[in-house]
Amino acid sequence: MKKPSQRSLLGKLFGASAKGVAIEDSLLTGYAQAGGKDICVIGTCSGTYIGNAAALRLAAHVIDCIERHPRTPIVMLVDSAGQEPNRADEMLGLASYFGHLLSCLELARRKGHKLITIATGKAVGGAFICYGMFADRIYALDSASVGLMPIEAMSAVTKIPVPVLRKLSKTMPALEFGARPFALLGGVEDVWPTDSDLPAKLAAAIAGAAVDDNRAALGKKRGGRKLALDVRNRVLAESRR
Amino acid sequence: MTGGVLFHEQTARQRLDAITDQGSFVEFLPPPERLTSPYLAQLGIPVSLDDGVVIGRARIDGKKVYLAAQVGQFVGGAVGEIHGAKLTGLFKAASRDGVPCVVIVESGGVRLHEGSAGEIAIAETMRAIFECRARKVPTIAVIGTDIGAYGGMGILSTCCDFRVMTEHGRLGISGPIVIEKWMGKKAYDSSNRALVWKTSGGKTKYLLGDADALVHDAAGAVREAIGKLLTRSSPVTLKNAKARQKDLEKRLKRFGKTADPDDLWKSLGVRDIARASLASGPEFVTLARAGRK
Amino acid sequence: MEKFAKAFPSRSLRVKTSKPWALAGVVGSGNLEVLLERGGRQSDAMECHVETSIPGYKASWLAALADFARNYPAGGTKVTINDQGAPPVLVNLRLRQAYDHLTKGGK
Repeated sequence: MKKPSQRSLLGKLFGASAKGVAIEDSLLTGYAQAGGKDICVIGTCSGTYIGNAAALRLAAHVIDCIERHPRTPIVMLVDSAGQEPNRADEMLGLASYFGHLLSCLELARRKGHKLITIATGKAVGGAFICYGMFADRIYALDSASVGLMPIEAMSAVTKIPVPVLRKLSKTMPALEFGARPFALLGGVEDVWPTDSDLPAKLAAAIAGAAVDDNRAALGKKRGGRKLALDVRNRVLAESRR
Repeated sequence: MTGGVLFHEQTARQRLDAITDQGSFVEFLPPPERLTSPYLAQLGIPVSLDDGVVIGRARIDGKKVYLAAQVGQFVGGAVGEIHGAKLTGLFKAASRDGVPCVVIVESGGVRLHEGSAGEIAIAETMRAIFECRARKVPTIAVIGTDIGAYGGMGILSTCCDFRVMTEHGRLGISGPIVIEKWMGKKAYDSSNRALVWKTSGGKTKYLLGDADALVHDAAGAVREAIGKLLTRSSPVTLKNAKARQKDLEKRLKRFGKTADPDDLWKSLGVRDIARASLASGPEFVTLARAGRK
Repeated sequence: MEKFAKAFPSRSLRVKTSKPWALAGVVGSGNLEVLLERGGRQSDAMECHVETSIPGYKASWLAALADFARNYPAGGTKVTINDQGAPPVLVNLRLRQAYDHLTKGGK
């Protein structure tokens, strides 16, 4: 699966309407169409780092959409290596900038905008948590790199040998890296082949989006995350007493 | 009260007891339930009976609250599948019951040994926090230890209505060692404690407005700050989002080129840097307020 | 990791306790957690389950637990230990703390 270039990928997703999406400093903002209806687009590309300024620009576009295009679905594309470890950004409150972006997305959700994410490239750790994982429904292209981190990186940090992690990942998909194991955990709704009819899939995804967070239930059903839903439900039952 | 014991020196369970009405804490899924991590067990790493987070209900000044406290000593307080599901469940219960929810954060973020399961759990908990906020149910993050709130838990803390910090607490995403590895020791010496705390510590976060209260490193002070916030909420509205956008833009414009935290402190009203560095949380608040006049 | 379980003869724990369990300690480097519960299988024995990250010290664990069972009336209790390399003196302290919490209340 060759990774398509950003412009050609936008074309594959949004057809001719892709020209309404600007790419600046590897940040995507704009408006396009899906299934003949207007959508708002925010995102990252080229595996870029995302810092305070990037988070603000994406947030500004979400606010613009809420103000000027009520109830227009927001499609988030994710191809980012996450936050660049940087002292100045940290000092100024990178976490708060991300928190603000999430608040803006929440505001959009409450105001009736559907939120759909497509992981198109890197969707690793913090890059995914700071906006993409906050959608109503999350999808990934089969060429995307989705997950906390590759097994080699996990091994380097935890000092657990790669073969041990690899063997365990066969029965514990949480340890495996990629869109498909992530889907087994319920983290993405579906994995889309890059050469499939993406506009049709996107239109269907928007039409079917719902605000309930179904990930724990999906993870249990698919067998990749067997405990989360039950533990959560036990807390809900115990707290009722 | 716990006399001279500092908040950051207490265990998670002691903290919960110390900030709630005496004897009122009731734990959900307590240790005898033996909800231990199958991931750690498979990897040959010791498990803990609460999986590193204590959750339950209690009263603060007679008012019902739900509480969670992460156990920093256990795998760095990191969030795995069970740990995260306990947090998600607690915030969901809070929004269902209209009961304020307090989380004492002490965590480096996602538990690497559980891979993407912990990452998704943090995202789910964020959704649950915003469910509370939509119902005007107060959510409060307390950050008061060396381990602080980092990675996904740093971001999660900023999703809550309010943050209470002590001068000991730290809030961020990438920790100093990671940044030093990336930028080099010259740019960020992670062994320089003063610089590390001025970058991510409670004082700087309070000056910037990212911490809503800066209090003594003592359970009594933390409890008092929580008590004041329990009746308030910070709703997610267009007006608030636009104001915050402006505020954060201004902050970036004003300080984006500054790498020196002392410049930041001075610009935000701290006149005597040396004195402010040594000040306790509340003393620092007084100094900063005086300087802004 | 090393795992073992054994029951040690002990006089029956007669005091009424305010709650059915008590926990002492934290799983962390050089530390351990001890959960003490009422409701062990036999009323004249302390039932112990140990998991430790440092293998090879089973004999000292068994000796320490046998000692505790002899010195304190703990018959009818169940002890669960998760250990991350705690020194013996800390093991004894945590056992006593858990016992005190269970029998006298408090943290």
